[in-house]
Amino acid sequence: MTDNVVEFRKATKLYAGVPAIQDVDFALRRGEIHAIVGENGAGKSTLTKAMSGVVMLTSGSMFVNGVEAAPRTPLEARHLGIAMVFQENSLVPTMTVAQNLFLGQEKFYNRLRGIYIAAQQFLQSLNFDVTPTMTVGLLGAAKKQMVEIARAVLHQAQVIIFDEPTASLTPEEKNYFFDLVRSLKQRGVSIVFISHALEEALLLADRITVLRDGKHVVTDDAGKFDRARIVQAMVGRDLSNTLYGKRKTAVRAAGERVLTVQNLKMAPMVKNNSLSVFAGQVTGVFGLVGAGRTETFKIVAGILKRDFFHGGEILLRGKPVRYRVPAPAVKAGIAYVTEDRKVEGFFETMSIARNIYLGILAKFPRGRFFLSSRESQKSGDDWISRLKVRAIGTRAKVVELSGGNQQKVVIAKSLAQEPDLIIFDEPTRGVDVGAIVEIHELINRLADEGKAVVVISSYLPEIMALSDRILVSRQGKVVEEFSALEATEEKIMYAAIH
Amino acid sequence: MIPALEDFFDGILGRGDAAITVPPFDGSLKPNQLLEHAEVAGEFGAPEDLTVAGGALYLADGPALRRCEGHSSREVRRFDSPITALCGLPGGRLAIALAGTEIRVLAAAEGTDAGKVISGGLHAVNAIAAGPDATLLATDGSANEPYRDWARDLLNRGRSGRLLSINPETGEIRVKASGLQYAFGAAAIGDDSIVSESWRHRLVKVAANGTVAAVVDHLPVYPSRIAPASDGGFWLTAFTARTQLIEFILRERGYRKRMMREVPPEFWIVPRLRSGGSFREPMQGAHLKTMGVVKPWAPPRSYGLVIRLAPDFSPLFSFHSRVDGVNHGVVAAAESNDALYVLAKGPGRLLRLPIAKAKEVLAE
Repeated sequence: MTDNVVEFRKATKLYAGVPAIQDVDFALRRGEIHAIVGENGAGKSTLTKAMSGVVMLTSGSMFVNGVEAAPRTPLEARHLGIAMVFQENSLVPTMTVAQNLFLGQEKFYNRLRGIYIAAQQFLQSLNFDVTPTMTVGLLGAAKKQMVEIARAVLHQAQVIIFDEPTASLTPEEKNYFFDLVRSLKQRGVSIVFISHALEEALLLADRITVLRDGKHVVTDDAGKFDRARIVQAMVGRDLSNTLYGKRKTAVRAAGERVLTVQNLKMAPMVKNNSLSVFAGQVTGVFGLVGAGRTETFKIVAGILKRDFFHGGEILLRGKPVRYRVPAPAVKAGIAYVTEDRKVEGFFETMSIARNIYLGILAKFPRGRFFLSSRESQKSGDDWISRLKVRAIGTRAKVVELSGGNQQKVVIAKSLAQEPDLIIFDEPTRGVDVGAIVEIHELINRLADEGKAVVVISSYLPEIMALSDRILVSRQGKVVEEFSALEATEEKIMYAAIH
Repeated sequence: MIPALEDFFDGILGRGDAAITVPPFDGSLKPNQLLEHAEVAGEFGAPEDLTVAGGALYLADGPALRRCEGHSSREVRRFDSPITALCGLPGGRLAIALAGTEIRVLAAAEGTDAGKVISGGLHAVNAIAAGPDATLLATDGSANEPYRDWARDLLNRGRSGRLLSINPETGEIRVKASGLQYAFGAAAIGDDSIVSESWRHRLVKVAANGTVAAVVDHLPVYPSRIAPASDGGFWLTAFTARTQLIEFILRERGYRKRMMREVPPEFWIVPRLRSGGSFREPMQGAHLKTMGVVKPWAPPRSYGLVIRLAPDFSPLFSFHSRVDGVNHGVVAAAESNDALYVLAKGPGRLLRLPIAKAKEVLAE
């Protein structure tokens, strides 16, 4: 029996004639943790999708346990023992945890009580603290991830593919996840692990494969890599000094107090939260998952509503405001760049130009009678060049873009509204390192132009690299403020946890 | 919506004017411990105000006027009534207010009278400043309550504060602004004046023609006296911080009336210049002390704060004594010899902060 559980030879996948992966050779050994890294658009997702039956190869061959295979559906791949935990959650939000776990395995006469008990026992065996009767839509990102993993384990997969599994996890949850992955490895399960967090790949993986522009660059033991070598292989240029490496030596002075949040409440996530945001500065907001950061700023942007009774106050330039929907907030100059771009950020089958034009139209809460395709085209061209969106043209659909370029479209859509207060929620989540540098430059430029910029991030190096002042949120409220000059990772984490 | 209906619903829903919220201490008001760790230059029994006249530092301590030199002080003159305000004037003179009802001009060094005694029409004078054309500016906190009873004025939602322009030669008193919600501290800027309106947590500019406009609004504190800074701008003192508890009490008229009627004043739920004297006081720190650290957003009962304002009144930085400290109830500040002298009325301390060093600490 071959040592490779899955193997690709000269694997190529074309989308409308454009190669997503080209002549890629890849081998996954039995019981190893194999990290695949690369910029967005490097072909990582396509390779793993081919492995899990989501897409079929255009040419080349795939072998499972030494036998040629070509799974046409995820179900076929599952029968081959390959399961994928997707970056975008593939759970049914309106169903319970147990129902999601046993989805597709229902019996003719299905007793809910029976599957709840089975799910409870199974989740306990994995030491997962998830209630099987809970509706998945009500779970946080980390718990959804646990359900996804549990489902893969339940299906007795011999290969489990994780696509950005740690993006939405807190540091503690990440450690827990790493332990889980290691225990899966001990059971003989092979793990494919896609991550933008290179440290995680170095920490967890046995071997690392680097892809670039759809092509295989290098595969080697993790011990033979360091961060610089991976980055060099990923982008073909040395970015390690420009990304998160530099510590701030000066901070921008605070300008006008643009936003004041006073005793804001939205049970159970936001608890008596107070903070200010000033013009001409980047205000970083750090916190662990569930700290109420996103919810606070979604209330500011009119996406969520604060508590009806004694819900606190939001003052925009000293004047109390309360937005029940986003449109008046947009008109007042508040832009919120979502953390979940695929769900909230754009219409993926619409063109780049149209998506950006929608951002402009959002400034007209009552709608606009005449729409101009010329204006749409012009603004699309303008923003594509300003943000260096790599696409065939303004008519390209957003779904065809890589994660980093999709994020740029989402940002362009917000900036087209000419806001004074821009809230970036996890601006570089699931974005390749090249795009991260460009997005960071853009954020700094906006602050230099005098805009009030908020960056919500769970990634400490990002917060420290970007922020002039850092607010630390814990359990629904801001508990500490640091100047970027005095902040250290330890101080911030201490405030976030204790 | 009809404003009365809107007010009614706001009251029920806790929004608009009925929102019980407090602005945060962040940005330039970010808490530090500079005031708490400041050098103690002297301790006094009943300090009230502080000023610099003729290059020397003078302090009002109950009915005594004292001159401070280093860590010692000597009594310049003792009056029959407590001094409630003190102001250095050109030519080595001092203006003082006695019991809030009388203003005198003195020769600072000797403490002898150097002008007319001005009285009549004054009720609770709590701050004096040099005005334009050799006049004096004085804030008369309340027309209803005496100076020492400021807490009752707050609970009665007093709005009888006045800014007065006084001619020390003739004794003429002119009302520049009235209806202020406890005027406590003033400074002149040309022909205009700046006044602390404590109960509204703001600074207002009173123009020569009498128009009043807010220049600093939504402060998280009760602002008090204002002193000019040597390199432009001002030092604004704040005798305590706002809390949601007090904001709530101030909305409950019946409760306040009953509290004033039935509870001894020392246990009223009002801002305090010091705390910790009795277990029967409302909680200080409000349980937000975790891992040995009192969180900066902990609602305080007393607090110590001096804010440095730029010439355009935007806050630049601030010195704090947080809820776990003792240098609370800051009512006056004066700059002398590159140091800021701060009067923390709560513990009765005169504090000294070298300004350059304090700035260095803030920049770290």
